[in-house]
Amino acid sequence: MARFTTWLRVNSQHYLLQDAHVRMARKCGYPTPPVRGSIFWTKIFVPVYRLMPWALRRPIMRAIPGSHRKRWPIQMQPEGPAI
Amino acid sequence: MAQRIVVIGGGGGGLGAAGGAKAVDPGASVTVFTEFEDVAYSPCGIPFVHGKEIPSFEALFLADKQAYVDAGIDIRYNTRVASINTSAKTIEVEGTGTVPYDSLVIATGFVYADPGVPGADLDGLYYVKNIRSAMEWDKRLDSVKKAVVLEAGPLGIEMATALAHRGIETHIVDPNPWVLGELCDPDIAELVQESWNEMGVQMHWNTKLNAFLGDDKGSVRGVDTSAGVIDCDLVVVATHKEPNSALAVAAGIKTGSTGGLIVDSSMHTSAPQVWACGDVCELPHQLGGLPLQGLTGSHAYAQGKVAGANSAGGNREYQPVYVPWGMVAGKWMIGGVALGETAATALGMPYVVGAADGISRARYYPGVKKVRVKLLAEPGSLRLIGAQLAGGEGIKERADFLGVAVKKGLTLRDLATMENVYSPPIGALNEPIAVAAQNALAAAAKGK
Repeated sequence: MARFTTWLRVNSQHYLLQDAHVRMARKCGYPTPPVRGSIFWTKIFVPVYRLMPWALRRPIMRAIPGSHRKRWPIQMQPEGPAI
Repeated sequence: MAQRIVVIGGGGGGLGAAGGAKAVDPGASVTVFTEFEDVAYSPCGIPFVHGKEIPSFEALFLADKQAYVDAGIDIRYNTRVASINTSAKTIEVEGTGTVPYDSLVIATGFVYADPGVPGADLDGLYYVKNIRSAMEWDKRLDSVKKAVVLEAGPLGIEMATALAHRGIETHIVDPNPWVLGELCDPDIAELVQESWNEMGVQMHWNTKLNAFLGDDKGSVRGVDTSAGVIDCDLVVVATHKEPNSALAVAAGIKTGSTGGLIVDSSMHTSAPQVWACGDVCELPHQLGGLPLQGLTGSHAYAQGKVAGANSAGGNREYQPVYVPWGMVAGKWMIGGVALGETAATALGMPYVVGAADGISRARYYPGVKKVRVKLLAEPGSLRLIGAQLAGGEGIKERADFLGVAVKKGLTLRDLATMENVYSPPIGALNEPIAVAAQNALAAAAKGK
Protein backbone atom coordinates (compact mmCIF):
# COMPACT_ATOMS: atom_id res chain seq x y z
CA MET A 1 0.00 0.00 0.00
CA ALA A 2 2.76 2.41 0.98
CA ARG A 3 4.55 1.79 -2.32
CA PHE A 4 1.36 2.46 -4.28
CA THR A 5 0.56 5.68 -2.44
CA THR A 6 4.14 6.86 -2.89
CA TRP A 7 3.97 6.08 -6.62
CA LEU A 8 0.63 7.90 -6.87
CA ARG A 9 1.89 10.91 -4.94
CA VAL A 10 5.14 11.22 -6.89
CA ASN A 11 3.46 10.96 -10.29
CA SER A 12 0.40 13.07 -9.59
CA GLN A 13 2.56 15.77 -8.02
CA HIS A 14 4.95 15.74 -10.98
CA TYR A 15 2.29 16.00 -13.68
CA LEU A 16 0.11 18.53 -11.86
CA LEU A 17 3.19 20.66 -11.29
CA GLN A 18 4.15 20.38 -14.95
CA ASP A 19 0.67 21.57 -15.89
CA ALA A 20 0.94 24.43 -13.37
CA HIS A 21 4.26 25.45 -14.90
CA VAL A 22 2.62 25.77 -18.30
CA ARG A 23 -0.25 27.83 -16.88
CA MET A 24 2.05 30.09 -14.85
CA ALA A 25 4.42 30.61 -17.78
CA ARG A 26 1.48 31.67 -19.97
CA LYS A 27 0.13 33.98 -17.27
CA CYS A 28 3.50 35.65 -16.67
CA GLY A 29 4.45 35.83 -20.34
CA TYR A 30 7.36 33.39 -20.22
CA PRO A 31 8.21 30.71 -22.79
CA THR A 32 5.90 27.75 -22.27
CA PRO A 33 7.79 24.69 -21.02
CA PRO A 34 7.39 21.40 -22.88
CA VAL A 35 4.79 18.89 -21.70
CA ARG A 36 6.36 15.45 -21.29
CA GLY A 37 4.94 12.15 -20.15
CA SER A 38 2.46 9.42 -20.91
CA ILE A 39 -0.99 10.00 -22.34
CA PHE A 40 -2.59 8.73 -19.14
CA TRP A 41 -0.98 11.34 -16.90
CA THR A 42 -0.96 14.31 -19.28
CA LYS A 43 -4.22 13.80 -21.21
CA ILE A 44 -6.42 11.96 -18.73
CA PHE A 45 -5.29 12.35 -15.11
CA VAL A 46 -4.48 16.06 -15.15
CA PRO A 47 -7.65 17.21 -17.00
CA VAL A 48 -9.89 14.98 -14.86
CA TYR A 49 -8.25 16.23 -11.67
CA ARG A 50 -8.76 19.83 -12.75
CA LEU A 51 -12.42 19.20 -13.54
CA MET A 52 -13.10 17.92 -10.03
CA PRO A 53 -14.22 20.58 -7.55
CA TRP A 54 -11.87 21.33 -4.65
CA ALA A 55 -14.54 20.12 -2.24
CA LEU A 56 -14.25 16.67 -3.83
CA ARG A 57 -10.50 16.66 -4.34
CA ARG A 58 -9.68 17.46 -0.74
CA PRO A 59 -11.37 14.44 0.87
CA ILE A 60 -9.81 12.16 -1.75
CA MET A 61 -6.36 13.50 -0.93
CA ARG A 62 -7.04 13.21 2.78
CA ALA A 63 -8.01 9.55 2.34
CA ILE A 64 -4.44 8.65 1.39
CA PRO A 65 -2.60 7.16 4.42
CA GLY A 66 -0.08 9.41 6.10
CA SER A 67 0.77 11.61 9.05
CA HIS A 68 -2.12 13.96 8.19
CA ARG A 69 -4.56 11.24 9.29
CA LYS A 70 -3.08 10.90 12.77
CA ARG A 71 -4.01 13.00 15.79
CA TRP A 72 -2.94 16.66 15.49
CA PRO A 73 -3.91 19.70 17.58
CA ILE A 74 -6.87 21.71 16.33
CA GLN A 75 -5.96 25.29 15.53
CA MET A 76 -7.23 27.87 18.00
CA GLN A 77 -9.22 30.62 16.34
CA PRO A 78 -7.93 34.18 16.78
CA GLU A 79 -9.73 35.92 19.60
CA GLY A 80 -8.58 39.50 19.15
CA PRO A 81 -6.03 41.59 21.05
CA ALA A 82 -4.94 40.63 24.54
CA ILE A 83 -6.30 43.75 26.20
CA MET B 1 17.10 1.92 37.12
CA ALA B 2 17.45 4.84 34.70
CA GLN B 3 15.32 4.57 31.58
CA ARG B 4 17.33 3.84 28.45
CA ILE B 5 16.70 6.24 25.59
CA VAL B 6 18.43 5.54 22.31
CA VAL B 7 18.62 8.06 19.47
CA ILE B 8 19.69 7.01 15.97
CA GLY B 9 21.14 10.00 14.11
CA GLY B 10 23.31 12.90 15.21
CA GLY B 11 21.90 15.75 13.14
CA GLY B 12 19.66 18.57 14.31
CA GLY B 13 16.74 16.23 15.00
CA GLY B 14 18.80 13.66 16.88
CA LEU B 15 20.59 16.14 19.09
CA GLY B 16 17.34 18.02 19.70
CA ALA B 17 15.83 14.72 20.82
CA ALA B 18 18.76 13.93 23.13
CA GLY B 19 18.49 17.37 24.74
CA GLY B 20 14.70 17.14 24.94
CA ALA B 21 14.91 13.77 26.70
CA LYS B 22 17.48 15.01 29.21
CA ALA B 23 15.37 18.09 29.95
CA VAL B 24 12.41 15.91 30.95
CA ASP B 25 14.39 13.20 32.74
CA PRO B 26 17.91 14.29 33.71
CA GLY B 27 18.56 10.85 35.15
CA ALA B 28 17.81 9.01 31.90
CA SER B 29 20.56 7.18 30.04
CA VAL B 30 20.62 8.89 26.64
CA THR B 31 22.77 7.39 23.89
CA VAL B 32 23.10 8.82 20.38
CA PHE B 33 24.45 6.71 17.51
CA THR B 34 25.85 8.53 14.50
CA GLU B 35 27.67 7.20 11.45
CA PHE B 36 29.74 10.37 11.23
CA GLU B 37 32.80 11.77 13.00
CA ASP B 38 31.07 14.87 14.31
CA VAL B 39 27.82 16.25 15.64
CA ALA B 40 26.70 19.76 16.55
CA TYR B 41 27.66 21.62 13.42
CA SER B 42 25.61 23.45 10.84
CA PRO B 43 25.64 21.54 7.53
CA CYS B 44 23.48 24.33 6.10
CA GLY B 45 26.54 26.62 6.38
CA ILE B 46 28.73 24.48 4.11
CA PRO B 47 27.85 26.29 0.83
CA PHE B 48 28.84 29.61 2.36
CA VAL B 49 32.30 28.33 3.32
CA HIS B 50 32.72 27.08 -0.24
CA GLY B 51 31.67 30.52 -1.45
CA LYS B 52 34.22 32.19 0.90
CA GLU B 53 31.58 34.20 2.72
CA ILE B 54 32.55 32.28 5.87
CA PRO B 55 36.31 31.93 6.39
CA SER B 56 36.49 28.39 7.78
CA PHE B 57 34.54 25.23 8.47
CA GLU B 58 35.45 25.47 12.16
CA ALA B 59 33.00 28.40 12.42
CA LEU B 60 30.16 25.97 11.67
CA PHE B 61 30.69 23.95 14.83
CA LEU B 62 28.22 24.87 17.56
CA ALA B 63 29.61 22.86 20.47
CA ASP B 64 32.57 20.59 21.15
CA LYS B 65 32.33 16.91 22.03
CA GLN B 66 33.01 17.58 25.70
CA ALA B 67 29.82 19.66 25.93
CA TYR B 68 27.77 16.52 25.35
CA VAL B 69 29.84 14.50 27.81
CA ASP B 70 29.18 17.25 30.38
CA ALA B 71 25.45 17.14 29.56
CA GLY B 72 25.40 13.40 30.24
CA ILE B 73 24.66 12.49 26.60
CA ASP B 74 26.66 9.49 25.38
CA ILE B 75 27.43 9.96 21.69
CA ARG B 76 28.84 7.01 19.77
CA TYR B 77 30.65 8.40 16.73
CA ASN B 78 31.42 6.47 13.52
CA THR B 79 28.90 3.86 14.58
CA ARG B 80 26.34 2.31 12.29
CA VAL B 81 23.04 0.84 13.47
CA ALA B 82 22.30 -2.24 11.38
CA SER B 83 18.74 -3.04 12.45
CA ILE B 84 15.89 -2.34 14.85
CA ASN B 85 13.78 -4.96 16.59
CA THR B 86 10.68 -3.18 17.85
CA SER B 87 9.28 -6.32 19.50
CA ALA B 88 12.37 -7.03 21.59
CA LYS B 89 13.07 -3.27 21.95
CA THR B 90 16.65 -3.63 20.82
CA ILE B 91 18.92 -2.35 18.09
CA GLU B 92 21.88 -4.11 16.49
CA VAL B 93 24.96 -1.93 16.40
CA GLU B 94 27.89 -2.85 14.17
CA GLY B 95 30.94 -3.60 16.29
CA THR B 96 28.97 -3.48 19.52
CA GLY B 97 26.14 -5.98 19.27
CA THR B 98 22.66 -5.83 20.72
CA VAL B 99 21.68 -2.66 22.55
CA PRO B 100 18.37 -2.59 24.46
CA TYR B 101 16.18 0.49 24.78
CA ASP B 102 13.10 1.59 26.65
CA SER B 103 12.42 4.37 24.14
CA LEU B 104 13.84 4.91 20.68
CA VAL B 105 14.02 8.06 18.56
CA ILE B 106 14.74 7.66 14.84
CA ALA B 107 16.43 10.73 13.38
CA THR B 108 18.22 9.26 10.39
CA GLY B 109 17.63 12.30 8.18
CA PHE B 110 17.69 12.25 4.40
CA VAL B 111 19.50 10.91 1.39
CA TYR B 112 19.73 12.60 -1.99
CA ALA B 113 17.45 11.09 -4.61
CA ASP B 114 19.34 8.79 -6.94
CA PRO B 115 19.69 10.61 -10.28
CA GLY B 116 19.08 7.21 -11.86
CA VAL B 117 21.50 7.67 -14.75
CA PRO B 118 24.73 5.94 -15.79
CA GLY B 119 28.00 7.16 -14.31
CA ALA B 120 26.86 7.61 -10.71
CA ASP B 121 30.01 5.87 -9.44
CA LEU B 122 32.44 8.37 -11.01
CA ASP B 123 34.81 10.42 -8.92
CA GLY B 124 33.94 14.11 -8.90
CA LEU B 125 30.26 13.84 -7.93
CA TYR B 126 29.80 15.93 -4.81
CA TYR B 127 26.88 15.24 -2.46
CA VAL B 128 26.97 18.07 0.08
CA LYS B 129 26.23 16.74 3.54
CA ASN B 130 29.11 15.81 5.82
CA ILE B 131 31.47 18.51 7.08
CA ARG B 132 34.67 16.42 6.97
CA SER B 133 33.90 15.48 3.40
CA ALA B 134 33.14 19.15 2.63
CA MET B 135 36.59 20.12 3.95
CA GLU B 136 38.20 17.75 1.45
CA TRP B 137 35.98 18.93 -1.39
CA ASP B 138 36.83 22.53 -0.56
CA LYS B 139 40.50 21.84 -1.30
CA ARG B 140 39.53 20.33 -4.65
CA LEU B 141 37.43 23.36 -5.53
CA ASP B 142 40.66 25.40 -5.80
CA SER B 143 41.49 23.53 -8.99
CA VAL B 144 37.97 23.28 -10.44
CA LYS B 145 37.42 25.44 -13.51
CA LYS B 146 33.95 24.38 -14.51
CA ALA B 147 31.15 22.86 -12.42
CA VAL B 148 27.63 21.62 -12.99
CA VAL B 149 25.00 21.88 -10.27
CA LEU B 150 22.30 19.31 -10.73
CA GLU B 151 18.89 20.79 -9.85
CA ALA B 152 18.10 24.26 -8.56
CA GLY B 153 16.44 23.35 -5.28
CA PRO B 154 17.46 25.11 -2.06
CA LEU B 155 20.91 23.50 -1.82
CA GLY B 156 21.51 23.77 -5.57
CA ILE B 157 20.73 27.48 -5.44
CA GLU B 158 23.16 28.07 -2.59
CA MET B 159 25.89 25.95 -4.19
CA ALA B 160 25.51 27.61 -7.61
CA THR B 161 25.74 31.03 -5.99
CA ALA B 162 28.75 29.91 -3.90
CA LEU B 163 30.64 28.44 -6.85
CA ALA B 164 30.00 31.58 -8.90
CA HIS B 165 31.29 33.69 -5.99
CA ARG B 166 34.38 31.56 -6.06
CA GLY B 167 34.99 32.34 -9.72
CA ILE B 168 34.15 28.87 -11.03
CA GLU B 169 32.25 28.66 -14.33
CA THR B 170 28.95 27.27 -13.08
CA HIS B 171 26.15 25.58 -14.96
CA ILE B 172 22.73 24.75 -13.53
CA VAL B 173 20.90 21.76 -15.03
CA ASP B 174 17.28 21.45 -13.97
CA PRO B 175 14.18 19.75 -15.42
CA ASN B 176 11.93 22.60 -14.27
CA PRO B 177 11.34 25.79 -16.28
CA TRP B 178 12.76 28.13 -13.62
CA VAL B 179 14.69 28.20 -10.39
CA LEU B 180 13.13 26.40 -7.41
CA GLY B 181 10.44 25.33 -9.82
CA GLU B 182 8.54 23.15 -7.34
CA LEU B 183 8.06 25.99 -4.90
CA CYS B 184 8.76 29.35 -6.47
CA ASP B 185 6.69 31.44 -8.86
CA PRO B 186 8.26 32.67 -12.11
CA ASP B 187 7.92 36.37 -11.22
CA ILE B 188 9.99 35.74 -8.08
CA ALA B 189 12.41 33.41 -9.87
CA GLU B 190 13.14 35.96 -12.61
CA LEU B 191 15.01 38.23 -10.22
CA VAL B 192 17.29 35.39 -9.14
CA GLN B 193 17.92 34.32 -12.72
CA GLU B 194 18.73 37.89 -13.80
CA SER B 195 21.31 38.13 -11.05
CA TRP B 196 22.79 34.73 -11.94
CA ASN B 197 23.14 36.01 -15.49
CA GLU B 198 25.12 38.95 -14.13
CA MET B 199 27.29 36.55 -12.10
CA GLY B 200 27.98 34.37 -15.14
CA VAL B 201 25.96 31.34 -14.05
CA GLN B 202 24.73 29.46 -17.12
CA MET B 203 21.24 28.06 -16.72
CA HIS B 204 19.82 25.06 -18.55
CA TRP B 205 16.09 24.90 -17.73
CA ASN B 206 13.68 22.20 -18.91
CA THR B 207 16.78 20.06 -19.17
CA LYS B 208 16.96 16.42 -18.20
CA LEU B 209 20.14 14.64 -17.15
CA ASN B 210 20.89 11.56 -19.26
CA ALA B 211 24.27 10.47 -17.86
CA PHE B 212 27.42 11.48 -16.01
CA LEU B 213 30.35 11.19 -18.42
CA GLY B 214 33.73 9.90 -17.24
CA ASP B 215 37.32 9.94 -18.45
CA ASP B 216 39.65 6.96 -18.59
CA LYS B 217 40.69 7.56 -14.95
CA GLY B 218 37.15 7.22 -13.67
CA SER B 219 36.65 10.92 -13.01
CA VAL B 220 33.70 12.94 -14.21
CA ARG B 221 34.42 14.98 -17.34
CA GLY B 222 30.93 16.17 -18.14
CA VAL B 223 27.22 15.52 -18.16
CA ASP B 224 25.04 14.39 -21.03
CA THR B 225 21.70 16.19 -20.97
CA SER B 226 18.62 16.59 -23.14
CA ALA B 227 20.17 19.89 -24.26
CA GLY B 228 23.55 18.38 -25.13
CA VAL B 229 26.87 17.67 -23.40
CA ILE B 230 28.30 20.06 -20.83
CA ASP B 231 31.97 19.56 -19.96
CA CYS B 232 32.92 19.98 -16.31
CA ASP B 233 35.42 18.98 -13.59
CA LEU B 234 32.83 18.61 -10.85
CA VAL B 235 29.12 17.90 -10.45
CA VAL B 236 27.25 18.97 -7.33
CA VAL B 237 24.37 16.51 -7.03
CA ALA B 238 21.62 18.51 -5.32
CA THR B 239 18.63 16.32 -6.09
CA HIS B 240 15.58 15.97 -3.84
CA LYS B 241 15.95 15.13 -0.19
CA GLU B 242 14.37 11.72 0.34
CA PRO B 243 13.74 10.20 3.76
CA ASN B 244 16.54 7.94 4.95
CA SER B 245 13.96 5.48 6.17
CA ALA B 246 15.37 2.09 5.10
CA LEU B 247 16.29 1.09 8.67
CA ALA B 248 12.84 1.98 10.00
CA VAL B 249 11.00 0.41 7.06
CA ALA B 250 12.96 -2.84 7.54
CA ALA B 251 11.70 -2.80 11.14
CA GLY B 252 8.11 -2.60 9.90
CA ILE B 253 7.47 1.04 10.79
CA LYS B 254 4.81 2.57 8.55
CA THR B 255 5.49 5.22 5.92
CA GLY B 256 3.19 7.67 4.16
CA SER B 257 2.87 8.85 0.57
CA THR B 258 6.07 10.91 0.80
CA GLY B 259 8.04 7.84 1.88
CA GLY B 260 8.58 9.50 5.27
CA LEU B 261 7.65 7.83 8.54
CA ILE B 262 4.08 8.44 9.67
CA VAL B 263 3.96 10.30 12.99
CA ASP B 264 1.32 11.97 15.14
CA SER B 265 1.61 15.25 16.99
CA SER B 266 3.74 13.64 19.70
CA MET B 267 6.10 12.50 16.90
CA HIS B 268 5.26 8.90 17.76
CA THR B 269 5.53 6.35 14.92
CA SER B 270 3.46 3.23 14.25
CA ALA B 271 5.78 1.15 16.51
CA PRO B 272 5.45 1.07 20.31
CA GLN B 273 7.89 3.33 22.17
CA VAL B 274 9.41 4.58 18.90
CA TRP B 275 9.41 8.26 17.96
CA ALA B 276 10.84 10.00 14.89
CA CYS B 277 11.86 13.51 13.89
CA GLY B 278 13.38 15.51 11.05
CA ASP B 279 13.73 14.58 7.40
CA VAL B 280 13.01 10.87 7.97
CA CYS B 281 9.36 11.58 8.78
CA GLU B 282 6.47 13.45 7.17
CA LEU B 283 4.38 16.25 8.66
CA PRO B 284 0.95 17.50 7.65
CA HIS B 285 0.67 20.89 5.98
CA GLN B 286 -2.10 22.81 7.69
CA LEU B 287 -3.47 24.16 4.39
CA GLY B 288 -4.79 21.35 2.26
CA GLY B 289 -3.71 18.79 4.85
CA LEU B 290 -1.28 16.87 2.65
CA PRO B 291 1.89 15.64 4.34
CA LEU B 292 5.28 17.10 3.47
CA GLN B 293 8.77 15.73 3.90
CA GLY B 294 12.19 17.35 3.68
CA LEU B 295 11.72 20.56 5.62
CA THR B 296 14.40 22.70 7.29
CA GLY B 297 16.96 22.19 10.04
CA SER B 298 14.82 24.43 12.23
CA HIS B 299 11.88 22.05 11.81
CA ALA B 300 14.08 19.01 12.51
CA TYR B 301 15.47 20.48 15.74
CA ALA B 302 12.03 21.51 17.02
CA GLN B 303 10.59 18.09 16.17
CA GLY B 304 13.56 16.48 17.91
CA LYS B 305 12.82 18.41 21.10
CA VAL B 306 9.22 17.14 21.04
CA ALA B 307 10.16 13.54 20.18
CA GLY B 308 12.93 13.46 22.80
CA ALA B 309 10.79 14.97 25.55
CA ASN B 310 7.98 12.49 24.88
CA SER B 311 10.37 9.54 24.69
CA ALA B 312 11.41 10.41 28.26
CA GLY B 313 7.84 10.55 29.52
CA GLY B 314 6.95 14.14 28.65
CA ASN B 315 3.77 15.38 27.01
CA ARG B 316 4.59 17.78 24.20
CA GLU B 317 2.92 18.34 20.85
CA TYR B 318 4.25 19.46 17.49
CA GLN B 319 2.00 21.49 15.22
CA PRO B 320 1.07 21.02 11.57
CA VAL B 321 3.38 23.13 9.43
CA TYR B 322 3.05 26.20 7.18
CA VAL B 323 6.75 26.23 6.22
CA PRO B 324 8.06 29.77 6.09
CA TRP B 325 11.19 29.60 3.93
CA GLY B 326 13.91 31.87 2.69
CA MET B 327 17.40 31.87 1.26
CA VAL B 328 20.04 33.89 -0.51
CA ALA B 329 19.82 33.20 -4.25
CA GLY B 330 22.20 34.98 -6.57
CA LYS B 331 22.16 38.63 -5.50
CA TRP B 332 18.70 38.37 -3.94
CA MET B 333 16.98 36.98 -0.93
CA ILE B 334 13.84 35.03 -1.74
CA GLY B 335 11.30 33.50 0.57
CA GLY B 336 7.70 32.80 1.28
CA VAL B 337 5.25 30.80 3.28
CA ALA B 338 2.63 28.13 2.62
CA LEU B 339 1.31 28.27 -0.95
CA GLY B 340 2.67 30.17 -3.92
CA GLU B 341 0.73 30.63 -7.15
CA THR B 342 2.46 27.67 -8.78
CA ALA B 343 1.62 25.30 -5.92
CA ALA B 344 -1.95 26.58 -5.65
CA THR B 345 -2.39 26.16 -9.40
CA ALA B 346 -1.00 22.61 -9.25
CA LEU B 347 -3.37 21.72 -6.43
CA GLY B 348 -6.21 23.45 -8.27
CA MET B 349 -7.00 25.62 -5.26
CA PRO B 350 -8.96 28.81 -5.96
CA TYR B 351 -7.18 32.00 -4.87
CA VAL B 352 -6.99 35.75 -5.28
CA VAL B 353 -3.57 37.34 -5.65
CA GLY B 354 -1.97 40.74 -5.29
CA ALA B 355 1.62 41.86 -5.65
CA ALA B 356 3.66 44.99 -5.03
CA ASP B 357 7.21 46.18 -5.54
CA GLY B 358 8.41 48.32 -2.65
CA ILE B 359 11.63 49.28 -0.97
CA SER B 360 13.44 48.16 2.18
CA ARG B 361 14.41 51.61 3.52
CA ALA B 362 13.62 55.24 2.75
CA ARG B 363 14.28 55.80 -0.96
CA TYR B 364 17.06 58.31 -0.21
CA TYR B 365 18.83 56.19 2.40
CA PRO B 366 22.08 54.44 1.32
CA GLY B 367 21.69 50.72 0.76
CA VAL B 368 17.98 50.84 -0.09
CA LYS B 369 16.87 47.61 -1.79
CA LYS B 370 13.87 46.51 -3.78
CA VAL B 371 11.31 44.28 -2.02
CA ARG B 372 8.74 42.32 -4.03
CA VAL B 373 5.76 40.86 -2.17
CA LYS B 374 3.04 38.61 -3.53
CA LEU B 375 0.10 37.52 -1.39
CA LEU B 376 -2.44 34.76 -2.04
CA ALA B 377 -5.77 34.56 -0.25
CA GLU B 378 -8.84 32.39 -0.18
CA PRO B 379 -11.66 33.92 -2.27
CA GLY B 380 -14.58 35.07 -0.18
CA SER B 381 -13.04 35.02 3.29
CA LEU B 382 -9.86 36.68 1.94
CA ARG B 383 -7.81 34.81 4.55
CA LEU B 384 -4.15 34.60 3.64
CA ILE B 385 -3.09 31.21 2.23
CA GLY B 386 0.43 32.03 1.12
CA ALA B 387 3.06 34.53 0.13
CA GLN B 388 6.20 34.81 -1.95
CA LEU B 389 8.91 37.41 -1.51
CA ALA B 390 12.11 38.67 -3.11
CA GLY B 391 14.36 41.50 -2.10
CA GLY B 392 17.69 42.75 -0.94
CA GLU B 393 16.95 42.59 2.78
CA GLY B 394 14.16 41.97 5.29
CA ILE B 395 12.83 38.87 3.53
CA LYS B 396 13.29 36.42 6.40
CA GLU B 397 11.48 38.69 8.86
CA ARG B 398 8.57 39.21 6.47
CA ALA B 399 8.33 35.47 5.77
CA ASP B 400 8.25 34.71 9.51
CA PHE B 401 5.58 37.37 10.07
CA LEU B 402 3.47 36.14 7.17
CA GLY B 403 3.81 32.60 8.51
CA VAL B 404 2.08 33.69 11.70
CA ALA B 405 -0.44 35.67 9.63
CA VAL B 406 -1.40 32.53 7.67
CA LYS B 407 -1.52 30.44 10.83
CA LYS B 408 -3.79 32.87 12.62
CA GLY B 409 -6.09 33.35 9.63
CA LEU B 410 -5.38 37.05 9.03
CA THR B 411 -7.16 38.47 6.01
CA LEU B 412 -6.11 40.76 3.19
CA ARG B 413 -8.10 43.49 4.96
CA ASP B 414 -6.01 43.01 8.11
CA LEU B 415 -2.80 43.29 6.12
CA ALA B 416 -4.01 46.15 3.92
CA THR B 417 -4.52 48.28 7.02
CA MET B 418 -1.54 47.06 9.03
CA GLU B 419 0.62 49.58 10.82
CA ASN B 420 4.30 49.49 9.96
CA VAL B 421 7.57 50.70 11.35
CA TYR B 422 8.84 53.78 9.55
CA SER B 423 12.44 54.84 10.07
CA PRO B 424 14.57 55.79 7.06
CA PRO B 425 17.51 53.42 7.73
CA ILE B 426 15.34 50.37 8.37
CA GLY B 427 11.91 50.85 6.82
CA ALA B 428 10.13 52.83 4.13
CA LEU B 429 6.96 54.88 4.45
CA ASN B 430 4.88 52.18 2.77
CA GLU B 431 5.24 48.54 3.78
CA PRO B 432 5.21 46.37 0.63
CA ILE B 433 3.08 43.75 2.42
CA ALA B 434 0.34 46.34 3.00
CA VAL B 435 0.52 47.55 -0.61
CA ALA B 436 0.35 44.00 -1.96
CA ALA B 437 -2.69 43.34 0.24
CA GLN B 438 -4.35 46.53 -1.04
CA ASN B 439 -3.66 45.43 -4.62
CA ALA B 440 -5.06 41.96 -3.86
CA LEU B 441 -8.21 43.51 -2.42
CA ALA B 442 -8.60 45.61 -5.56
CA ALA B 443 -8.17 42.46 -7.69
CA ALA B 444 -10.70 40.58 -5.56
CA ALA B 445 -13.18 43.42 -5.96
CA LYS B 446 -12.82 43.13 -9.74
CA GLY B 447 -13.31 39.37 -9.48
CA LYS B 448 -9.79 38.52 -10.67
